[in-house]
Amino acid sequence: MHKLAWLIPLLPLLAATAIAIGYITGLNRGEAGEKQTRRIAVGAALLSLLLVLLIDGFALLQGAPGQLRFGTWLHSGEYAIKLSFTLDALGLSMTTLVALLSVLTLRFSVNYMHRELGYQRFFMVLCLFMAAMLLIVMAGNALLAFVGWELAGVSSYLLINYAFDRTTASINASRAFVTNRIGDAGFIIAIALSLFWVNSVEWPAVLSCSTTLEKLQVGLIAASFLLAALAKSAQLPFSPWITRALEGPTPSSAIFYGALMVHAGAYLVIRLEPLFEQVPVLMLALVLFGGGTAVYGFLVGLVQTDIKSGLIFSTLGQVGLIFLECGLGWFTFAAWHLAAHAAWRAYQFLSAPALMHFMGRPSRPVPRWLAHKHWLYTACLQRFWVDSLADWLLVRPTRALAQDTQAFDQQVVNRLVGLPGSASAVSSLAQWETIKHGQASRIVGDSGDIGHGRGAVGRLMEAVASLLHWFEEHLVLKGGDEGIFNLVQRLGNVLMKIESLLSEPRYLILLIVITFIVVL
Amino acid sequence: MSDAHTAKPADIRALLRQVIEHFEHILPAQAAIKEFVHHNTLHGFQQLPFPQALAAAHKVTGAYGYLPEEQFHACYRTGRISREDLEQVLDADPELNADEDILDAAGEPLKRRDIMLAALLHPLKTITGCQLNWQIEELNALAAFQPDVDAASRMRLLDAAREHGQADEATAINDLWTACLHTLGLDHYLLHPEELLDISPEQAEMMLSTVVTEEEHSEPGQLLMDRRIDREADTLMESLFGQLGHDLTLAGLLKTVTGEDLMDTLRPLLIRHVGSFLDQGLAAWNAPDRQLGFYAVWRESAMQDLAWVFEELPDWRDSIDTLPDDPLDAVLIELKWLGLAEEQWAAYLERLALELPGWSGMFLWRHNHPGYDGLEQVQVDMVDYLAVRLVLERLFAQRLCRERWTIEASFDVIRWYFRHNRAEFMVRYTVYNRHLPEYLVTLAQQLLNCSALCGTDSTQWLHLAHMVWTWQQSPVSDRRFGYSVHRSAWRLFRLAQHLGVCGADIRDLDRTTINRIFNCVDSLDPERAGFIWLQAYERHYREQLFNALVNNHGRGRWSARNTRPAAQLVFCMDDREEGFRRHLEEHNPQLETLGAAGFFGVAINWRGLDDSTVTPLCPIVVVPAHEIRETPQSGQEAAGVQHGKRRQQRLRLKDLLHQETRRNLLGSTLLILLAAPAALAVLVGKLLAPLPVSQLSDKLRNAFERVVPTRVNINSKDDRPATPEEPRPGFTDEEQVDRVQGFLRNIGLQSGFAPLVVMMGHGSSSQNNPHLAAYDCGACSGRHGGPNARVFATMANRPEIRALLRERGCDIPEDTWFLGAEHDTCDECISWYDLDALPPALEQSFNKLRQDLDIAVLGSAHERSRRLASAPRDPAPQQALRHIMGRARDFSQVRPELGHATNAAAFIGRRSMSQGAFFDRRVFLISYDPTQDPEGTVLETILLAVGPVGAGINLEYYFSTVNNERYGCGSKIAHNVAGLFGVMEGTSSDLRTGLPKQMIEIHEAMRLQVVIEASIEVVTAVYERQPPLQELIGNGWLLLSVKDPDSEAIHIFTPGAGFTPWRGNVAPLPTVQRSPEWYNGHEGPLTPALIEAEATHA
Repeated sequence: MHKLAWLIPLLPLLAATAIAIGYITGLNRGEAGEKQTRRIAVGAALLSLLLVLLIDGFALLQGAPGQLRFGTWLHSGEYAIKLSFTLDALGLSMTTLVALLSVLTLRFSVNYMHRELGYQRFFMVLCLFMAAMLLIVMAGNALLAFVGWELAGVSSYLLINYAFDRTTASINASRAFVTNRIGDAGFIIAIALSLFWVNSVEWPAVLSCSTTLEKLQVGLIAASFLLAALAKSAQLPFSPWITRALEGPTPSSAIFYGALMVHAGAYLVIRLEPLFEQVPVLMLALVLFGGGTAVYGFLVGLVQTDIKSGLIFSTLGQVGLIFLECGLGWFTFAAWHLAAHAAWRAYQFLSAPALMHFMGRPSRPVPRWLAHKHWLYTACLQRFWVDSLADWLLVRPTRALAQDTQAFDQQVVNRLVGLPGSASAVSSLAQWETIKHGQASRIVGDSGDIGHGRGAVGRLMEAVASLLHWFEEHLVLKGGDEGIFNLVQRLGNVLMKIESLLSEPRYLILLIVITFIVVL
Repeated sequence: MSDAHTAKPADIRALLRQVIEHFEHILPAQAAIKEFVHHNTLHGFQQLPFPQALAAAHKVTGAYGYLPEEQFHACYRTGRISREDLEQVLDADPELNADEDILDAAGEPLKRRDIMLAALLHPLKTITGCQLNWQIEELNALAAFQPDVDAASRMRLLDAAREHGQADEATAINDLWTACLHTLGLDHYLLHPEELLDISPEQAEMMLSTVVTEEEHSEPGQLLMDRRIDREADTLMESLFGQLGHDLTLAGLLKTVTGEDLMDTLRPLLIRHVGSFLDQGLAAWNAPDRQLGFYAVWRESAMQDLAWVFEELPDWRDSIDTLPDDPLDAVLIELKWLGLAEEQWAAYLERLALELPGWSGMFLWRHNHPGYDGLEQVQVDMVDYLAVRLVLERLFAQRLCRERWTIEASFDVIRWYFRHNRAEFMVRYTVYNRHLPEYLVTLAQQLLNCSALCGTDSTQWLHLAHMVWTWQQSPVSDRRFGYSVHRSAWRLFRLAQHLGVCGADIRDLDRTTINRIFNCVDSLDPERAGFIWLQAYERHYREQLFNALVNNHGRGRWSARNTRPAAQLVFCMDDREEGFRRHLEEHNPQLETLGAAGFFGVAINWRGLDDSTVTPLCPIVVVPAHEIRETPQSGQEAAGVQHGKRRQQRLRLKDLLHQETRRNLLGSTLLILLAAPAALAVLVGKLLAPLPVSQLSDKLRNAFERVVPTRVNINSKDDRPATPEEPRPGFTDEEQVDRVQGFLRNIGLQSGFAPLVVMMGHGSSSQNNPHLAAYDCGACSGRHGGPNARVFATMANRPEIRALLRERGCDIPEDTWFLGAEHDTCDECISWYDLDALPPALEQSFNKLRQDLDIAVLGSAHERSRRLASAPRDPAPQQALRHIMGRARDFSQVRPELGHATNAAAFIGRRSMSQGAFFDRRVFLISYDPTQDPEGTVLETILLAVGPVGAGINLEYYFSTVNNERYGCGSKIAHNVAGLFGVMEGTSSDLRTGLPKQMIEIHEAMRLQVVIEASIEVVTAVYERQPPLQELIGNGWLLLSVKDPDSEAIHIFTPGAGFTPWRGNVAPLPTVQRSPEWYNGHEGPLTPALIEAEATHA
């Protein structure tokens, strides 16, 4: 039976492809195409679930199949990467959970998304996501898991951005996507390190590497994986992305952020249990990050006044606890906690619109001593400024740097290289008028006014001519202090600009980075 | 600027109060979502005539109030609007002068009507230079007809052209284009925007000569172009700064010149604070000290907020610290600081509030409803909100202004800056507000980037301004004065094709005629065109409706009760009951149905057995003075106590699960571990088999809680006066008789009582639906009307009341029994009240009635299925009912039912007027017997109660449909309940008001056609007596007609002109035996038909 396990993630992937092709060719567009779309999506997901259940059944009788190989994916020199699955007790139970919750969410969306313009798109992405999650939990090696990891990231981006006509949605989607890339970098480094040091990315090999590798090497691999896990599970300091991810339709919020994707990081940590147990520092890190996020989620959750935010912060709190449990070495308990939490949140998110009717009374207020801590309340309301801090430290400097570069490009590089600016006789009526009046000197523009040259040499000639002209105009014709005064003032301005730019933190950071690069 | 110091604080205070009062007219007035009641979305504009109100609202809020043109075109194509409808509407408006001749084409006169029709049916839109190039080069527009020209027009044009020697289409069309250009004195050559980078001397000379006048040439000194740009910049600046206050805020102004929207930064900040302040209990931790008011709470928080540091706001600490303690002072200081003249303050504050209408509206609603939902300690004052809003705006505006120009963020300073940098202003304004070709946008972006970083000198701005201005003068751009190729020639070209006018005829036109043609086309601005289309749409439906009424005259049963009906059932007037009643009557003609506002004339504060507080059950405008409680029957007290206990246990568990798993950290881990397996099972069950699972859970719940037989306590021994301020438990006998008698008189049920009279309230139950209340009974303020029915029946059954009624001349037979019931419009179930008190003699009749109702339930479910896309096609009745019931219990279903989506008309008269005809669930049916009401007093009461309710429902649907983005609340799928009072999209959007897209998809947006069965004299007298009706009807919010009780004559009321007889086309209607024969196989709206059902088994 388990020979067919590769079909489990493939079926939803095929469904996603089929829906996409159907949409491109116009076969399933519009309301009429809904039936076909949902049949493909729900059908494939159900088949997939059925296969999982069958394998579960066999596993109950004969024990879990463990590591399965279906062939070689990449082969280069001494590196061979296999298409393999790890269907041990952990992998199999997580696979069951993922398949079941995905099927339920798909079923829910059939009615919920009816007549939405993005119906086909939504089902396509949901299938893609299901395949991605299944890959993550079933993968037998880090690289295959990484494929799922990335697919999940992309589908998450597509669903946050479901209503792409709303600016907030697009901005938040990009923000979530970019934040996740930091974690992905961790994952890639981990894969690379495993390849270098362990010569394999198969989970069993990676997990048993502690016997052959030094402590520090094990620590580095595990730490890289930890970075990936923290970002994916929105642990501090990455938490803000998940609160921005609630722009999509309710079912996608449910499955992505309530139930499945938020647990992917935690799953990775549980999967890498033997690795982490070798490195006490990382166990401590798990405790700190998890515990921190748990407290953060709990406190900030207390002040949330909309249902989805309220739910997402309590989700963060619980996922934080799961990390904490891992840090304490309670990996099995963490796995149970994860499964239960996923199921419960799926239910709670899906019925989020009705939560207001379930509430018999207002939420139990916080104790008096806490209620009047105004500064803490403010901190919670502003979510401890994590997002603003990231903006301040990373986003805005980066953006400014980009603008500086662009300006540099336009002002310096373009002129040097000689890209055509405006190569025209006249580009405005004013120029024509001036020419007509014989006041050539009044023509202003970015390209000088004497003649036009192309390329560096042309430009050089032009510049020389302009310079002479300018010299004549400003120093000789105008004469005296006016011309020189202007020159000095402009020079002064330029210097001040350079100085003010250098005092900006982004250049300071840049300088430090450059220093580091030079030193290293 | 006037000096604000001269105004006394008291005056200012009064002024601000006035401003806030006026907010009610412009901000959405929707209550907290649990209290959702349908109301006219433009209630604040109701004192204006309908089209003027829509135009005014459009101007103030920017939301257009008619369906988009494309949708009207679609209606035209599908036959929901005909050409005749449009012509009639055009002819009916004397202002339009439809009959005036405008030009002669091939000997035939063309009238204004023809031109307006062409303009209505085919968009005659201005196009851009690139679009024109595309049309000519890719779509071959100069050699072939426009694709939307109909065959008749093509023929006419080609015939005319042939007479002038143009043999084929290409020549004729090309000649037409040349003729259009020629007549308008224009030239056109294909030019692409980038070509302007390289203007030839000839071109430049030509362009100059067209824009510069002689005297300008002779002016010495400054460069001509510089002068032109300065002048244009001054004009633009004048108009832009002129908009400040009434149309533009500081944020709006900055957005116009920097493209940066302060609201993007400000919105999430403000929403978090307002949300936390207004929250009704969703969060465990709300803002501390909410009794101090929003401003104080915000300030306290702001002082401790680090966000300012990260946002790099200048001097934030000083700015916030030095704010005055009184919010009013803060508002005054901020307004003065902005540099706004005092007379503009009111307008400025309104504009400010409108930038976040949903949240502002909710704040205002709570301001007007202090102590709502037990939140007495929360001081909600609109001044607080405005103060915070102003301060935030200033803080962020200051940052922006400092970054961009190192100036202060006040209007005077910004104006001063731009006066000295006209070219920069010109470029900035055009980039962010006008269409520019790509090459200019790129240049401008580069310059803007540079200027943000390191500043630029004015010559760069000037150069770019020149280029922009040159482009604007070029033939590629659209000139803003006189005739232009894109605005005039292209439209004339298209118009001529649709009119079938050839080039030669166009050449013959003189300037005056051309002007008249363009005036005629331009007179159809979006407002007027929308209103014409709407009237045509309404007329089309009205003609069918009146035709059906005329055909049905004299056919309906029960115009007089010559025999005794088997039973009488009084339904709510709700349009959803039309189908139900029709199926019931078709099945058993011995039954009589009546309709009335579903609170049955008893306004009560209701407290059911399980309720902890009272709920008002009556129209929103009434405040009940009586409280009715439901208690266990005598002897069942112990069971009642036990039931209460068990229920409390269940609710506590539910709260624990749903709330604590959200609120706690460690505790919820335990709860989640325990609840998860069950939750998973429930989830699977709910998704795969919603109906059985829900039935099972109902059964389990009832088994656990035990159903207790109850009674309503309606009697009061106490006869001190009952007032809304001090509601009294129960009604005195006198009050009960008044109500029973009044209600029966209203519905014209004074004699011919059947043995069973059923009062059928209604409500709607569905899952996962924040807008639950919007589906319930509108006459009970968005709640279930069953308790009212029950209370009424209990009153009417009391022998004491019967005796008193008899004294007053209303003789109800001894053997007549009143029953209360409730119809669930979502799953069609009927629940009965107090059946144990039913006299044994009536048991048999009751059982028969129940069987009849079961059939009607099936019929109604069957008929509803046809409009539901996901229901089975052509189902068996049982199958349809299963679907309908399952749907109501399906928590993934966003359309549990379609609500009032089909409402379009209201009949006030005897059922005989409409009985026997199929009205497609589109009509409110209100019983009224004109023969018993010579003075019109009853009609007056009915109209006063029913008019606002009907108009409220109809107009809410109307506005949510025509502009779901602005007047409605968008799609449900992204909704997120905030603070228990409203829905947002995502987590930081404005609060969305109105109806969701899922409720209005099939609605045909038209005003309610009210048809009263009465004489014109009576209706006129009532109308003249009642100002509220004059407002509703006289301003065209409701359309009124009157049908003569004794003849087929129908008169239409036109505001200002009074009643005119309807002279529409009377054609025979299709006749079917039963409704299903007519509607089977159809999914869209259906025209009326006659139904011949005769009792075969009654």
